[in-house]
Amino acid sequence: MRRLAPIIAAALLLGSCRQGEERTGIYLQRFFGECGAVFGRDIDVAKAEGECGIITAMINKFNAENKDVRVSQNVVAWPGYPQLTAQVAAKDPPDVVTMHSGVISDYAANGLVEPVEPILREAGIDPASFTEASLRSVTINGRIYGLPWDIHGGLFHINTALFRKAGLMRGDKPVLPNSAEELLAHARQFKARTGKPYLIQSLVGDPAYQTRNLYTYLMAHDAVIFPDPRHVRLRTPEARKIMTFFRQVNAEKLGTQNQDTPAAIATFMNGEGGIYPTGTWMIGQFEQEAKTAGRPLHNSYAVVPYPRLWGRQASFVSGHVWVVPTRQRTREERSALARFFRFMAEHNYDWVRTGHLPAFKAIVDSPQFKALPHRAEIAPLASFGQPLPGYVRRQAAIEGLIGEEMAAVVNGQKSVERGLTDAERRVNELLAQLD
Amino acid sequence: MAASNRRARLSPLAFTFVLIGALIMVAPLIWTLLLSLKSNAELVGNSGAALHGPYTLENYQAIFGNRLTTRWLINSMIVSLGTTAGVLILCSLAGYGFARLDFPYRKTIFVLVLAGLAIPGEAVVLPRHQLFADLHLHNSYPGLILPGLVTPFGVFFMTQYFRAIPRDLDEAAMLDGASRFTTFFKVLLPLTVPAQSTLAVFTFLASWNDYWWPLISATRSDMYTLTVGLASSQMNYAQTSGLGFLMAQAVFASIPIFIVYLVFQKQIVRAMAGTAIR
Repeated sequence: MRRLAPIIAAALLLGSCRQGEERTGIYLQRFFGECGAVFGRDIDVAKAEGECGIITAMINKFNAENKDVRVSQNVVAWPGYPQLTAQVAAKDPPDVVTMHSGVISDYAANGLVEPVEPILREAGIDPASFTEASLRSVTINGRIYGLPWDIHGGLFHINTALFRKAGLMRGDKPVLPNSAEELLAHARQFKARTGKPYLIQSLVGDPAYQTRNLYTYLMAHDAVIFPDPRHVRLRTPEARKIMTFFRQVNAEKLGTQNQDTPAAIATFMNGEGGIYPTGTWMIGQFEQEAKTAGRPLHNSYAVVPYPRLWGRQASFVSGHVWVVPTRQRTREERSALARFFRFMAEHNYDWVRTGHLPAFKAIVDSPQFKALPHRAEIAPLASFGQPLPGYVRRQAAIEGLIGEEMAAVVNGQKSVERGLTDAERRVNELLAQLD
Repeated sequence: MAASNRRARLSPLAFTFVLIGALIMVAPLIWTLLLSLKSNAELVGNSGAALHGPYTLENYQAIFGNRLTTRWLINSMIVSLGTTAGVLILCSLAGYGFARLDFPYRKTIFVLVLAGLAIPGEAVVLPRHQLFADLHLHNSYPGLILPGLVTPFGVFFMTQYFRAIPRDLDEAAMLDGASRFTTFFKVLLPLTVPAQSTLAVFTFLASWNDYWWPLISATRSDMYTLTVGLASSQMNYAQTSGLGFLMAQAVFASIPIFIVYLVFQKQIVRAMAGTAIR
């Protein structure tokens, strides 16, 4: 018996090991920060707040509800692409990873991420259920490269108290311009009556701001920004018109000057300007200010999509996507990924409490979503929002180049023609280097 | 006592300049500390709120609430101390060799080592990453320590220091029957302590603050160093909606460096002064 004891103990040990091995592991890599201190064990997603809190609670809940699958999280420093590239180079990528839709093309072009139609099929997710913007954001050459999770883009965040003072409110609704000329007229009126700038501009160190404005209004003109994967087209009458307009706003000091993103946010929150054109992701923060008595934005906040100044209503958008890096997988691992996708799709409403727009039509149309503050006003963005074509690579770098040149134009450091020419040349040089 | 009596008294004008200089240097540190003691929500609209209370430790609680923070701290300690120890051993041996020993192509090899000073780390990061991947060294302590051991500056620094020590000492030791290793280890090495202190502090600081290599080599969160781990904890727009937390991280990450400086202050100052005279 004494001799048998170690054998029994070893058998029990091996048995327990085997029990652990039966759980299929998903190695998930994400950004959005680490907040385990607050939400480390939460599974009540409805109570979680903010991007980090909600995603942490969702993953906790998935693990709690799927005892045979174990999702382990690797939280990476924003935006995580240097690490992902390094992992791919070392042939050790994660199983699933968060990615901005504009980045997918860089990885897809080299076969580093997988088309996910089979996983979507197994998860019971029909791509037709995605919003138009979401479907476009994950589709490259007819293939779907990930589970879209949200759409985010630029919005006009408005201080309605200042708008009222400026005589730009009709009932409870802010009066928005229908043309560039009208925007200038509103801005002059606003400045004359409030003494404050109409537009809060993030002109320093924020190339995304400038690029978002240019892309949005080029799309409104139905302009073809990237005629092919190797070229951008910016020396056009439409681009000249748009940049001349933003340059004039700045020259007439109808917008704030020399502010970076934190300064622009603080300016808006302190009630020092009329409109702050920034992303969906700021809604939660500004809404919180609007609910807080004594704050400058108290009961004075509205948010709408970029107004139609030319052509048609349009908006440049991006999105967060769950992407699957290419690697060998077992049948069980693929099934686990499918279940994870299904869970994330089913909980898309929870995620869009962050301020982002849903990736699924059913959520956009749901009363639950529209009951969230301001969502009814911004919901149309999910249909007319437009990402860049899937064949455009290096979108993040291009955004930096264009934004830098456009900031120089708006600040008066370069002429409109010079800025657009330089931007076009620099982007084309970058695209020419691609394999 | 006598030494302090010999110290020259600063004139009021010089004192004023020194005071202003000190305040300019200290101001950002105090600003960082004050910001770290404020709630994020209060700072979003007005960072000037840091100049008055109420203050809170919630940002530090958030740092310690992360179960991995201690792990990252230990990782940084292991990597920084391991790198420092390795650099001191290798550079002392190399410095002694170049300064004292005759061997074929000594000057050529020394020039080749110095040429390394002109090559930025970024230029070799791709092949190095590939090499470490092939050797399965990523997400390991050797993977984080080994690249830091290659330091042409350290070799040059120690070579110059050994060259400045009179050869008479070596000859006297050898006459007394000491072997070459004993001469190196027991006679010359103790004389290089000031240089070693300087090199150790520089190496420790560089290793502690290193971000790029740990970012791409330690991709698993349990192998992050403190710099990478703290960066991963930040949300996007941390500089606006998480300013207090960001500053608390900066303070927290610099505490070990601060302690190192306090403990080794005398050696550092003496070494810097000695190096300057030399």
